[in-house]
Amino acid sequence: MGLTIRFQKNMVECSLLEKGLGKPFHPGDRREWTPEWDRDRCIRCGLCYVYCPDGAIYRTDDGFFEADADKCKGCGICHRECWFGAISMVKEE
Amino acid sequence: MDKFNLYVPNFLPFKEYFIPEKNHACPGCGLALAIRQTYKALEKEIEKATWQPLMSAEAFEERLDIFEMGKTEVSFLRIPKGKADIILCLDNEAGGSLSDVLEKPMPSIAVAEGFHYVAAACPSYPFDLYAKIKRGFQTEGKVYIHILCPCPEEWKFDPELTVKIGRWAVESRAFPLYEVGGGVYHLTVETPKPRSLSDYLKAQKRFEGLSESDIEEAQAFVDNEYKRLLDTIQKYLDTTG
Repeated sequence: MGLTIRFQKNMVECSLLEKGLGKPFHPGDRREWTPEWDRDRCIRCGLCYVYCPDGAIYRTDDGFFEADADKCKGCGICHRECWFGAISMVKEE
Repeated sequence: MDKFNLYVPNFLPFKEYFIPEKNHACPGCGLALAIRQTYKALEKEIEKATWQPLMSAEAFEERLDIFEMGKTEVSFLRIPKGKADIILCLDNEAGGSLSDVLEKPMPSIAVAEGFHYVAAACPSYPFDLYAKIKRGFQTEGKVYIHILCPCPEEWKFDPELTVKIGRWAVESRAFPLYEVGGGVYHLTVETPKPRSLSDYLKAQKRFEGLSESDIEEAQAFVDNEYKRLLDTIQKYLDTTG
């Protein structure tokens, strides 16, 4: 078990530092849940942007936030951390 | 609603140096979150960063071996700056028992070894982490920053709880955030009303088999460690005036 953890960890570490290792892929392909923003409740504070581990959330021109479907892995951190409950997780079809 | 418009990201640089297209991390990875926030603090300097294997001959020369890891596995990220380096320890507590997990001797060892700036940080407090890495980069000399990265796969919790679990670790005083260097030795996040440790431990399925007496023992251990930290801070303040 220790060896597997070590191996996985090395793989993740290498890919995070971007040294030309690892093939490009679309992390969003295996997603089950997608975040959706309720614009009436959103105060545009940007906490979801700060806490996204994958850098998938970006700010649109009108100040609201949206997730890039190609990068989002559907972890749900933004849904948990939103103070106003403006983000709901919707099951992918 | 307009007067509540506080743009949190405006306190951080908007430019994204993190490239997620090749990011093999699991959903809700605390390590990826910590690295992304580090990228924001370091901006262009991050390109020089390298992972430092603990047991290599080079690391031995650089005396990285002073950090006794116990049984958990940690990763070291080394970022060169001026004469000395920043050493970031990304600790996701892989493969440790409860006592290994609660004992974090590395920052105090670094202080004893004469590092010029030592800090403990957690990605659940992004501005705190950002400020610490910035300050570490501006400090002359050796820098050590210990970052706790919750890992949903290894700790066995729901990926959406990553940030919350990190916050509970700090609130329950299991991982106090503090910094040493530049004439200061203080807690950066105060916890006047601590959360009970069982909240933090029971949220993780890796500690499912713990009995009540184990948790009480762990709570006593954590309280003792916290008291020792406060004593050290008091002693430091007394000696420096």
